[in-house]
Amino acid sequence: MMKMSFEVTAKKLFGVKYERLIRTLFLELVAFWGLHISGFRVEIAPFILYLMVVVFSAGVMWQALSAGDNRANLENMLMLPFEGRTLVFSYAAALGAYTLLTKTAGLLAVVWAVGHWSWTEILGSLLCALAAIVIVSCLYPLRLGRTDAYAFYVRPASHRRTVKVYRRCSVRRYLFRYLMAHKNYLVNTAAMWGVACVLPLLLGQMEARFVLPIGFAILSLNTPICILLSCDPALERAVRFLPGQGRAFCVPYCLFIFGCNLAADIVFLCSWQIQLGGIGPLHTLAAAAFALLSAVGSVLLEWYFPLRGWKIESDLWHHPRKYIVPAVMLLLAGLVSMI
Amino acid sequence: MGENILELQNLRAWYSQGKNVLSDFSLQLRPHEVVGLIGLNGAGKTTFLKALSGLHEGFRCDSIYLNGQPVTFRDKGFKLCRYTVFAEDNSFQYFTFREYLSYVAAAYKMKLSDVAELVRGFHFEDYTDTLLKDLSTGNKKKAFLITAFALKRPLLLLDEPVNGLDFQSTEYLYQLIAGYKEHGTVLFSSHILESITLTSDRVLVLEEGQIRRSFEGGEINAANIREALHDENEL
Repeated sequence: MMKMSFEVTAKKLFGVKYERLIRTLFLELVAFWGLHISGFRVEIAPFILYLMVVVFSAGVMWQALSAGDNRANLENMLMLPFEGRTLVFSYAAALGAYTLLTKTAGLLAVVWAVGHWSWTEILGSLLCALAAIVIVSCLYPLRLGRTDAYAFYVRPASHRRTVKVYRRCSVRRYLFRYLMAHKNYLVNTAAMWGVACVLPLLLGQMEARFVLPIGFAILSLNTPICILLSCDPALERAVRFLPGQGRAFCVPYCLFIFGCNLAADIVFLCSWQIQLGGIGPLHTLAAAAFALLSAVGSVLLEWYFPLRGWKIESDLWHHPRKYIVPAVMLLLAGLVSMI
Repeated sequence: MGENILELQNLRAWYSQGKNVLSDFSLQLRPHEVVGLIGLNGAGKTTFLKALSGLHEGFRCDSIYLNGQPVTFRDKGFKLCRYTVFAEDNSFQYFTFREYLSYVAAAYKMKLSDVAELVRGFHFEDYTDTLLKDLSTGNKKKAFLITAFALKRPLLLLDEPVNGLDFQSTEYLYQLIAGYKEHGTVLFSSHILESITLTSDRVLVLEEGQIRRSFEGGEINAANIREALHDENEL
């Protein structure tokens, strides 16, 4: 029974014949060898490695447990005369395996490829990842003050909220509501602002002209707001089916991402000014240009190359496509620095 | 050709190459008629409506004419002519119904006349300022149906419009579909015989992606359609 319960969730996440798992592990191996033979090396203290693995694994596991995409499967399993312990264990084990093998393994492939690690550190990071996954699985049901299987069921919003009445629609308002309704999006945006605050500490040793554009490029990596159409297939279908959506939806969406990116860039510039000084109007203009370009790039990717066939939202958050716009921005930053 | 609002010749559609979901599918829709599509699960009804909505990637069609002019399903002119209500729709969840209506009206470059009667007819008065995400399945369906009937597009596509509706709204919907001929053509799919027999001028029976039988006028009755579906099942 436990094996069957495990397979219900595992096959959804990894594919019927676990083909997605094999593909992901293969890609991780390729990334490991590619980076390893490139000769690029970084020194990372074991404590930082463990911290990184714990925070990352815990975050992904929490996200996987909170995903509404599991609702249909779990609903059906909870409807059956299940045994609580078996169901919880198999469900958490499947999501844990997904977190460890497809997400944490990707991170470890990169850090192990560029660092020098002993077997102790490899074993230590694996144990840290496992511990993070187990602890999150235990803590997750406690958010409802319960410990039964039903605490894992993510309920759809049951309350009907009457919002402030507007006769006219506004895509900007729509996106703002969307952002406010998704706490993880807000946390991610706040985290970007945190990064913007500390970036001057890391980049401040170099000349502003060289590193400010690099900072703008890094801050364009606000994944969740750049995958809006991919993670909402019904919305994507609607904007493709209604006439004139290139202008009606994509332009406000682009401006929304621009606003978010620009806010992070402004925080970065303010932090730089406070710590190091020397920020002028030209830097603000450059920030706006980078924010706009990255917003346009993100919307074009969403419009022409939306991500499809994902299993849970976490797949979108960690899809390599998210690095395309920041990578292009980094190249642009390099060009700007040379001018 | 000029008599028909829409004319398709030899439409083929697939999800994976070599396995056609629709094949040799030709159809003429006349202005101001109600056409019902019926067929067993997997017959191709939803795929056909998705293709007409420009949402199905894998398809070929020898010719598509809208009012005698060649078009594609993704032409802006074609998009402006039709509106689709999908069997399940969770789009624009953070708009209220009123905002959604205003958004869609802007997309179709229209100013909508009063929708109060439609709202009353569907008993939707209490939900017009609620976010679509907070509506039940049936109320969500009502929101999209009200939008569809308010837009009055020349071609209205409805994929299983009755699903999820309460009986009062279902009866009101039948009236609306039957009365839509004044504005344009309705093409709708349903599994419920009553919805087809009460409203359609023409019924197309689909089987394995092809139109097997067609009934018009007096031929449309539950017995004939049931027999056609039964025959299909035996084939």
